[in-house]
Amino acid sequence: MTDQDSYIHLARPLPTLNVSPAHATTGPLNVQIHAQALFSILDHSLRRNADQERVIGTLLGVRSEDGSEVEIRNCFAVGHNESQEQVEVDMDYHKTMLSLHLKANPKEVLVGWYATSPELNTFSALIQNFYASNGEGTFPHPAVHLTMSTAPGKDIAIRTYISSAVGVNPDRIADSCLFVPVPYEIRYNDSDRSGLELIAGAKNTEDRTVSVMTDIHALERAIEEVLGMLDRVSDYVAKVIDGEAEGSTAIGKFLMNTLALAPKVSGSDVERMFNTHIQDVLLISYLANTIRTQIDLSNKLANLTSAAAPPIAATVTAGGK
Amino acid sequence: MASPVTAPFKSVRVDALVVLKIAKHSSSAHPQVITGQLLGMDVDGELQVTNSFPFPSADPAASSGDFNDNNSSANAAAAAPRAKANAFYQAEMMRCLREMNVDANSVGWYQSANLGNFLNANFVENQYFYQSTLNERTIALVHDTARSAQGTLSLRAFRLTPAFMAAQKEGKFTSESLAKHNLTYRDILIELPVTIRNSHLLTTLLHQLDSPPLPANPTPFSLSTLTPTPLFPNYDSLDLSIDPFLEKNCDLLLDSIETHYTELNNAQYYTRQLAREQAKITAWQTKRKSENVLRAAAKQELLPEDEWTRIYKLPQEPSRLESLLNSRQIEQYAKQVDGFTAGATAKMFAVNAGLNKTD
Repeated sequence: MTDQDSYIHLARPLPTLNVSPAHATTGPLNVQIHAQALFSILDHSLRRNADQERVIGTLLGVRSEDGSEVEIRNCFAVGHNESQEQVEVDMDYHKTMLSLHLKANPKEVLVGWYATSPELNTFSALIQNFYASNGEGTFPHPAVHLTMSTAPGKDIAIRTYISSAVGVNPDRIADSCLFVPVPYEIRYNDSDRSGLELIAGAKNTEDRTVSVMTDIHALERAIEEVLGMLDRVSDYVAKVIDGEAEGSTAIGKFLMNTLALAPKVSGSDVERMFNTHIQDVLLISYLANTIRTQIDLSNKLANLTSAAAPPIAATVTAGGK
Repeated sequence: MASPVTAPFKSVRVDALVVLKIAKHSSSAHPQVITGQLLGMDVDGELQVTNSFPFPSADPAASSGDFNDNNSSANAAAAAPRAKANAFYQAEMMRCLREMNVDANSVGWYQSANLGNFLNANFVENQYFYQSTLNERTIALVHDTARSAQGTLSLRAFRLTPAFMAAQKEGKFTSESLAKHNLTYRDILIELPVTIRNSHLLTTLLHQLDSPPLPANPTPFSLSTLTPTPLFPNYDSLDLSIDPFLEKNCDLLLDSIETHYTELNNAQYYTRQLAREQAKITAWQTKRKSENVLRAAAKQELLPEDEWTRIYKLPQEPSRLESLLNSRQIEQYAKQVDGFTAGATAKMFAVNAGLNKTD
C-alpha cells in the first residue's frame, strides 16, 4: 500500500502563469478516492482492446474551496491510440462524455485523469498537460493523475500525482512535466458500506459471486462474527497473561475503552424496558399481518362479487380498520 | 403465474461496479427518487448487468421555464425512463459507452426507494414501457436506500408478469378484464433472485485493501494505529434502535390503508350509481313494455324497446389498477415489518439475557 510509503513532500508546484493569490497556495494536496471510481477503472481495464497496453480516462469529482482536497468520485473511459512515436486521444469523445456526465451529476467537476499502467512517459506528460491546461483543463487547480497497475498476478498499485512545468526549451514544453507524487486515501461513504461489505464477502468464494442477503441472515452472520472475535480476543488475552504473547498497549487501551461502554443498568430496568418494547414490536407485527389478511380478503371479495355486491367487501375492510 | 417457460431468464447477476454506482446515485439524492439505465446482456437464462448510468434527475432548463416545484421535479425523475427528452441523452450515452467496449444493451432500469415504497403507477408504467416497447428481457432493479443504510444491502429485481402485461396492453383494469386475465394483486410483479459478482481484478484489489501490510512495530503503542481496515464488516445489523423503523413503517401502512379506503369508496360509489341507473332502466323498460301491450291491444305500431341505450348512460367502472398496486404495496410493507420483527425480537432477547447476566 502506498500510504505506508514515506514520501518526500515537495512544495506543491505553482501554476506558471499569474493566478489570483487565492489559488496560489503551496499547501499539501490531499486526494480521496471513492471506491466506485476504482471499480470503474478496473472494469475499464478489463474491457480494453487486446492490443492496448493501458487505457486512460477522465476523473470527475469534487474539489474543496481552497483546492487542497480533491475527492475523486467518478470517472469515465476515453479512447486513445498509442504507438512508438505518437499518441492520439479522442478529445471529442472526452468532451461529449463530460457534458453527458455533468448533466446527470451537476455537482462534479473535472479533476484529472487516470491510466492503467504505473509507467510515466512522454505521452503521460502530454496528456497531463492537456488535462491541466487553461480553458478545458483544471487550471488554475492542478490536474490529478492516477495510475493503477493492473498487471495480472501482481498487486494493484495505486499512485496519485500532480504536475508542474519543468524548465526545458520551449519546443519541448508541451510534452514534458514533473510529476509530483501526492498522498491519497480511499474513502467509503456510509451509503456504500452495506454494498461494499457484501461485495467484499464474495472475495473468498471460488465463483466470485454472492447473493443478496436477507436481514435475518445478515444478523446471523454478524452474531457469528462477533462470537468469533470474542473468542480470538479472549484467546489473545489469555496468552498475554500467561506470557506466551507480547502484550500491546494499544490493544489494551482499546479493550479498556470498549469494556467501559457496557451500560450500568439494573436487571429490573432491563426487564421492564424489554417487556414494553417486545410488546410494541409484537403488536405491530400482529397488526401488520392482520392488515395483510384483510387486504387479501378484500381483494378476493372484490373480485368474486365484482359488480354484484362490492359493499360486502367494503364493510369487511372497514371493520378491519 | 410466472411459469419458467414464459420468463426469459431466471436470475439476475449484478456486477459490483453497478451496485456501487446505484448506491452512490441513490444516496446522493435521498430521499428523492432517482432512476437510471442498466446495461448488460442476457447469457443462458441469466441476466448479467455489467454497467449503468444515471438519468439526469431534473432538467434545469425546464424547471426554470415553467413553475416547477419540488414535487413535479421528483415526478419528472420518476418518469425519466420513458420521457422523450431523455431519449437523446440515453442514445448518446450508449453510443459513447459502446465505443469503450461496454455491453451497451439496455437490460432495464433502476430506481431508488425508501422503505419499500416503490410500487406505484410510475413504476409499473416504466417497466411496462421497457418490457413492451424496448425488449421483453428487461428488469427493474430497486435499491432501497433507507434499508441499505441499516446494514444490509437491499437490492431487488422485478419484472411484470405476462398476465399484467396483457391487462396493461388493453389499457383498462375493470373487474371484467381482471377476471379474464386471472390477475390479482399478487401477480403484478415477479421477483428475481439477485447475485453480485466481482471481476478477478476486483477480487485482487479487495484482498489487498483488506490486508494492509503489517506495521513495522508489531506492538503499537497508540490507539490511532489501530484503525480498522476499510472493508471491515460493519455491524449495523446489530443495532438496537427499532422504534424509528417501526414508526416509519406504521406511517406508511396507514397511508396505504387510507388510499385503499378511498379506492373502496370510489368502487362503492360506482356500484350505487350503477344500481340506480339499472333501476331506472328497468323501470323504463317495464313502462315501455306495458305501453306496447296497450298499443298492441289498440292495434297501433309498437315502440322500439331498446331506446334506453340512448336515454340512459351506464357509469364507467373506475380503474382497479390503483387499488391493485396499493394492495401489493400494503403486502410489501407487512412483509417488511414481519421480517424486521423477526430480527428485532431475536436481538432483544439476546440483550435481555446478556444484560441480566452481567448484573
